[in-house]
Amino acid sequence: MSLSTSSDIVIQTRHLGKAYQLYARRSDWLKQVMLGWWKSYFKPFWVLRDIDLQVRRGESIGILGRNGCGKSTLLQVICGMTLPSHGELRVTGRIAPVLALGSTFDLELSGRENVMIGGAVLGLKRSEVLRKFSSIAEFAGIGDYMEQPVKHYSMGMRTRLAFAICAHVEAEILVVDEALAVGDVAFQRKCLDWIDNFRRSGTLLFVSHSMAEVRRLCTRAVWIEEGRIREEGDPSEVIRNYHRALMVEKDDVHRFSASG
Amino acid sequence: MPSVNVVNGKQIVVEDLGAAERAVRFLGKPFAQMWNHQDLIQAILRRELSERFKGSAAGWIWAVVAPLLAITVYSLAFTTNLKLPMADNAAGPKVGYALFIFSGIIVFNFWSEMAFRAPMLLHEYTHFIKQTIFPSDMLAVISTLRATLYTLISISVMLVFQVSVTGGLPWTVLLIPFTFIPFMAFLIGMSWFLCALGAFTRDAGYLMINIVPLFMFATPIFYPHGALPSPANFLIYINALTGYVEVMRDIVLLGKLPNPLVYLWTLFTSVFTFYFGYWFFDRYRNVIVDVI
Repeated sequence: MSLSTSSDIVIQTRHLGKAYQLYARRSDWLKQVMLGWWKSYFKPFWVLRDIDLQVRRGESIGILGRNGCGKSTLLQVICGMTLPSHGELRVTGRIAPVLALGSTFDLELSGRENVMIGGAVLGLKRSEVLRKFSSIAEFAGIGDYMEQPVKHYSMGMRTRLAFAICAHVEAEILVVDEALAVGDVAFQRKCLDWIDNFRRSGTLLFVSHSMAEVRRLCTRAVWIEEGRIREEGDPSEVIRNYHRALMVEKDDVHRFSASG
Repeated sequence: MPSVNVVNGKQIVVEDLGAAERAVRFLGKPFAQMWNHQDLIQAILRRELSERFKGSAAGWIWAVVAPLLAITVYSLAFTTNLKLPMADNAAGPKVGYALFIFSGIIVFNFWSEMAFRAPMLLHEYTHFIKQTIFPSDMLAVISTLRATLYTLISISVMLVFQVSVTGGLPWTVLLIPFTFIPFMAFLIGMSWFLCALGAFTRDAGYLMINIVPLFMFATPIFYPHGALPSPANFLIYINALTGYVEVMRDIVLLGKLPNPLVYLWTLFTSVFTFYFGYWFFDRYRNVIVDVI
C-alpha cells in the first residue's frame, strides 16, 4: 500500500463508544434531565465499544455483523445523527446517508416539494436543487407521480425518489445501510451500478447482508460483533470467517438484554 | 464531554477543547448554525408557510383579516363610558385604549404561539431528526421566523390603524427593530428550552396549555403596569413579557424613548434566555435523538 498522509484519512474514530440510556419508566427521563447532575436514572447499554477505524479517501468498506451488533448505530454516529458517548470522531467531507430511504418524506407534500426539502437537508443550496431537479426526476423514474403527494407512492417509488436525491448531493462519503432491499431488481441494479461508479471518486461505507454485494463493491470488510470490531481486512477472508462463525454460533435470544 | 462540530454540513468533528475555546465556540455556534443552514431554514419555512393556508381559498388574506378584525372589535367594545387608563391620549380615550390593548396583545400572541407550539416541535419533525443529518436546533429558529411573519402583519395593521386615527406616527416607531429583534432572540431561546423539555415529557405541552392563558392577565395587557399597587408594579417585571410590552407601547403609542433600565432588563432577559435555551438544548440534543 502506498504511503498515505493524514489528509487522506476521511473518517477516523478512536476508542469510539456509544451507550443508549435505557429507562425503566418514562418519567425517569424527566428526572434525568432535572437531576442528572446528582444521580443517574438510567442503565447504560453499550452498543458500540472501543471502535478504532480509519478510512482513507477512495476506500470502500463493507460492514458485516448480525442484527443488533451495532453496525447501524456505527453508521448513525459517523453521519453525526447521534453523538458518541465516548471517544473521538473526525469526518472530513460531505456525507450522504442512504439510510432508511424515504422515511424522511413528508407524506402530505408532493415529490417535488420533498426533493426541495430533502436536498436542503443534505446540504444543497436551493439553486443547486433547482438545477439538478430534472436529473433527479429522471433517475427516480416515477414520471407524473412527481407532482402527487408522497402518501400515494408505493414503498418502491419512495425508495427510488430518496435514492435519486442522495445520488445528486455530490457527496464525498456515501453511507449505505441495506437500504436498497425494497426497490425492484432493475432499480437495485441501477443503484448498485451508480454506487460502483461512485467508488471511483468517493469513499463508501456499505452495510449489507448480501455477501455477494460486499465482495463486489468493497475493498475492505469490517466484522462487528457485540459492538466491537472482531475482524477487519480482505473482504473474502472476513466473509469466510463470518460465515463459519454463523454456522457454529446459535442465535442467542438474550443478546439484547442490558445486564450481563 | 466531547463536543460535536458540524462545519458547513460537511465536516463532523468530535473533540475535546479548552475552556476558553469552548466558550467562544458556544457563543458563536447558534449564529454559525443559522448561517450554514440558511437554505434549509428557507426550504422548511417556505413549506410551513404554504401549509398554514393550504386548501383555503382566501389564503393569505386570513393573516391580515384576523388582526384587522381584532382591532375593530376592541375599538367598538371600548366606545362605552368606562373609566379607562390613557384617557389623556391624543387619539381620544376610546381608540387610545383599543390601541393600548392591541399593542399588548401583539406581543402576547407572538409569545403564546411559540409557547404553545415549542413543546411539540421536535415531535412534529421526528422523521427528520431520527433519519437524517438534521440540525434540530434550527427548528426553534424556523418556527420563530414563521410566527414573526404573522406578528409583522399585525404590527403593520396596527400602524395603519394608528395613522388613520391619529394622522401620523411618532419617529420612535423606527426603533421597533431594537426591541423586536431581542424579543425574537428571547422566543428562540424559550423554544429551545421548551422543545428539549417537550421531547422528554408531554407534560411540558399540557403545562403550557394551562399556564399561557394565565399570563394574559399576569402581563400588563389590559392595564398599564403603573396602575398596580407598590410592590406589584415592580415585581411584575419578573414576568419578562412586561418589559417588552412596555417598550413597545412607549415607542409606538406614546412616542417616547423607553426607560433605559427597563430596556436594559429586556436585553438581559433576551440574551440570557437565548443562551440558556441553547445551552440546555445542546446539552441534551444527543439524548433527545435517542428518546424521541
